[in-house]
Amino acid sequence: MNDLSQIEKELRKLRPARPSPVLFERVEEAMIDCRAVGRRGDPARQPRKPSGPRYNWLSLGFGLAAAAVLLLFAAVKMERRQESGKEIAQTSREPEAAPLLNRAQKSTSPDKFVPAGASRLVYNTRDEGLQFASSSGQPLRRMRYQTHETWQWRNPTTGASLRVSYPSEEVVLIPVSGE
Amino acid sequence: MQNLVSHEDWKSCFSEVAPGLLLFARQWVQSAADAEDVVQEAFVKFWRRNHKIENRALLYAAVRSIALDFIRRDSRRARREATAVRETDEFSEPQFEFEDDTQRALAEAIDFLPCEQREVLVMKIWNELTFAEIAGALGISQNTAASRYRYALAALRNTLQPQ
Repeated sequence: MNDLSQIEKELRKLRPARPSPVLFERVEEAMIDCRAVGRRGDPARQPRKPSGPRYNWLSLGFGLAAAAVLLLFAAVKMERRQESGKEIAQTSREPEAAPLLNRAQKSTSPDKFVPAGASRLVYNTRDEGLQFASSSGQPLRRMRYQTHETWQWRNPTTGASLRVSYPSEEVVLIPVSGE
Repeated sequence: MQNLVSHEDWKSCFSEVAPGLLLFARQWVQSAADAEDVVQEAFVKFWRRNHKIENRALLYAAVRSIALDFIRRDSRRARREATAVRETDEFSEPQFEFEDDTQRALAEAIDFLPCEQREVLVMKIWNELTFAEIAGALGISQNTAASRYRYALAALRNTLQPQ
């Protein structure tokens, strides 16, 4: 340890070489240049304005663009939903289910399940083109409906309910009027 | 806490730190003229950015950074100069002012230290930076700075006092 402090003392006696006088002149010139630039309006030397909020225009631009894209997506999605609602989501208590319900309602007894509802959701309609049946000379349009039917029963005494759902498919031939 | 811009007395500050800064810059650049270029650029940049003179670690970090940029920029020139310096070693500019042969031997021994030990030694002895400041300037821990310093002293002792 003593050896090291001895070395330290020796090192401290050693003086670094002095800079040339030219260096001071050069630094002075550079300082004067800096001051001149500062007075002319170098932004690095200008005091910062204590003005209101500073906007980062790049971030603001990205934010607005992202918001616009989101709005566009939302609009397109809503439009599609409306269109599909027109075509597919036709939930109906159609006339075929009504007689069955009426019949079931008529034959109720207090300890049995009573039909409480029936629905038929047409979720896809496909036009399979024109057909010419042998019996009829009139062309027929073949339509295929894919549906989802749901039946519900309810026991009025116990309050229990039963629901059955199943997919179904129906082909309908519609006569085409020859105009 | 004064800063260079407020008191405008950069000359006294610079004359105080310039020899140490030049020695520090000479760790990377061969010639005294290049070291002066590096020191001038670092000091003027430091002054322009309104840094406090007490923040010496930043000043030394600036010198180091500019010196390393200088080497990258002029790598070919530096290689040529290094070759020239090796060939005409007796004419190379000394980094220290010698008073006797012991000091000359000591200065030569410093040249043989590994770079990372030498830079810590230069900052500690001739620039009087604390280990915390050295650590800040070099981006190392204080313990690393202190151990590099001790290794440097031990290496010099072994060189100068062969057993």
